[in-house]
Amino acid sequence: MTKSEISLSGLKVFVVEDEAIIAMMLEDMLMDLGCSVIGPCTGLKQAHEMLAGTDTPGAAILDVNVGGEQIYPVATALAERGVPLVFATGYGSVGLAESWRNRVTVQKPYTQDDIVRALNAAIAA
Amino acid sequence: MMTGLDFSQLFERLPSPHMVLDRELRFVAANAAYLAVTMRRWDELAGKHVFDMFPDPGENGRKLKASFERVLETGQPDTLAYLPYAIAVPENEGGGLAYRYWTAVHTPLPGPDGRTAYVVQNTVDVTDMVRAEEGATLPFGHIPEATSLIQRVLETAAMKDEAAREADEFRRLFQQAPSMIAVLSGPDHAITFANDALKRFLGGRDLMGTRVRDSLPDIAAQSFMDWLNQVYRSGTPVSGNGVPIRVERPGQPPGDYYVDFAFHPIFEKDGVVKGVFVQGMDRTRDVEAEQRQRILLDELNHRVKNTLATVQSIAKQTLKESESPAAARAAFEARILALSHAHDLLSRSSWAGADLKTILTRELRPYGTDRAEISGDPVRLTPRAAVALGMVVHELATNAAKHGALSNGEGRVSAAWRLETGEAGKTLNIDWREFGGPKVSPPAKRGFGSRLIRMSLEGELGGSTDLRFDPKGLTCHISIPIDESSRHDKI
Repeated sequence: MTKSEISLSGLKVFVVEDEAIIAMMLEDMLMDLGCSVIGPCTGLKQAHEMLAGTDTPGAAILDVNVGGEQIYPVATALAERGVPLVFATGYGSVGLAESWRNRVTVQKPYTQDDIVRALNAAIAA
Repeated sequence: MMTGLDFSQLFERLPSPHMVLDRELRFVAANAAYLAVTMRRWDELAGKHVFDMFPDPGENGRKLKASFERVLETGQPDTLAYLPYAIAVPENEGGGLAYRYWTAVHTPLPGPDGRTAYVVQNTVDVTDMVRAEEGATLPFGHIPEATSLIQRVLETAAMKDEAAREADEFRRLFQQAPSMIAVLSGPDHAITFANDALKRFLGGRDLMGTRVRDSLPDIAAQSFMDWLNQVYRSGTPVSGNGVPIRVERPGQPPGDYYVDFAFHPIFEKDGVVKGVFVQGMDRTRDVEAEQRQRILLDELNHRVKNTLATVQSIAKQTLKESESPAAARAAFEARILALSHAHDLLSRSSWAGADLKTILTRELRPYGTDRAEISGDPVRLTPRAAVALGMVVHELATNAAKHGALSNGEGRVSAAWRLETGEAGKTLNIDWREFGGPKVSPPAKRGFGSRLIRMSLEGELGGSTDLRFDPKGLTCHISIPIDESSRHDKI
């Protein structure tokens, strides 16, 4: 745990989460871990725009269902840039489209420990 | 009697088979109809004994002989209403025995001495009628043998009618049955019956007498053809529930449906499969309802998990910023209730949206109508905007009660809004102003409320906010786009 926190310090994490209150918590958790947050983005359009104007992030945590839209176009763009991905969803991994099902997921609600484990797994993958 | 009439010609041309035997039961005469039905020439029969020509050592032969003898003895006519009697088929006609059914009337013909010298037989081949009857699987063989020819014929005809009527009734029942029914015949699955429900489903194509692969190529291209072949070959039924089927009705785009179906073999009496009985039910509505229900359940699960995460977030942040456990408990409860109230408004409208005035009234009412002025046009908020604004208004009202205009005895809050239509669509502008409260100073650190205002209204709703800690009173200007086309957006 402690080791993980150290390893994540300074990591730039791209966050897409359309629910402000949840995004606030995720932002808090990542700041506690010493990460810097890109976002949180609340929609696909904003996510694409922010991605275009930023250095490649060290990791990304993506809500799957963003304002009724599916996150996959953003996930594809990130995967093409080799960004380790974590999907956050209320459905668990069965809520992911077939081609993304082997990716790391955290199920809402998640704890700070869940985020640490998921980010480490995604970076190690 | 009539004169000038050639009775031998009359006899010869009677359409019904007639023959005449002498007392020794030898052929004396036979007309053309008789020769035709027995497949014999006159020169074969002339002078021959009837039982030499048409032997039957069994019961039916005895019955025929007995009838001849009764006529010769009594001088009275005798009738055999029903006589199964096989006759040998000439070699040039294919040979073997023809199993036939007859009705025969034997009439005595007196000689010059007044004694019965001849027996005239009028016989009718009723094989077709009997077969028709057997085909209709009606019980047979209970007809009293003494029944007269006329009665017999009438009865047979009546039974045939009855069988036809029953068959008709069954046909009509099947024709109008709510489920889809077809009868297929032979290894090529020729359609010998297709009811209305099936014809409607398949788009009114001409099916009768056609082969499935010719008239229904769209269906034949799917697994249904393999299953039909399997049933015909194996004699075991095949059935399925909720099976997808694509129907290409003439002149229409292809349609995708789901059916329950059963293919059952139709057996001949000898146990050989002669066709397939097809039954089907269009279950598209049910299957789609099940799919919708699954989607709704997934959506419900998604919302529950998101709401739990929201509650978790509120709890974490409330605990972090509160000065005492008691303050934390009160603030946490109030925030959960604000979230719950927003949900109440939405569930009352089946998640179609909520009214801004109702949200503001609910949060400000506890402070009294003289302390809060609420005014603006009716605005229907999307579920997402309703929840976000519900939480923001709660934070503003709570802050006012704790530090602002509602924290003393005379301060007031004004919440006014208007809808403005611009080039980019409609914008909702809300002005929150506080008057008469204690002198305002900016907070030392940004709390949950101000962070929420920024994150939910700017981020989540794509609007803009302007929160000012004016010494005379806090003001908050909120501007959010109102997309009336997405009332049912997800939250």
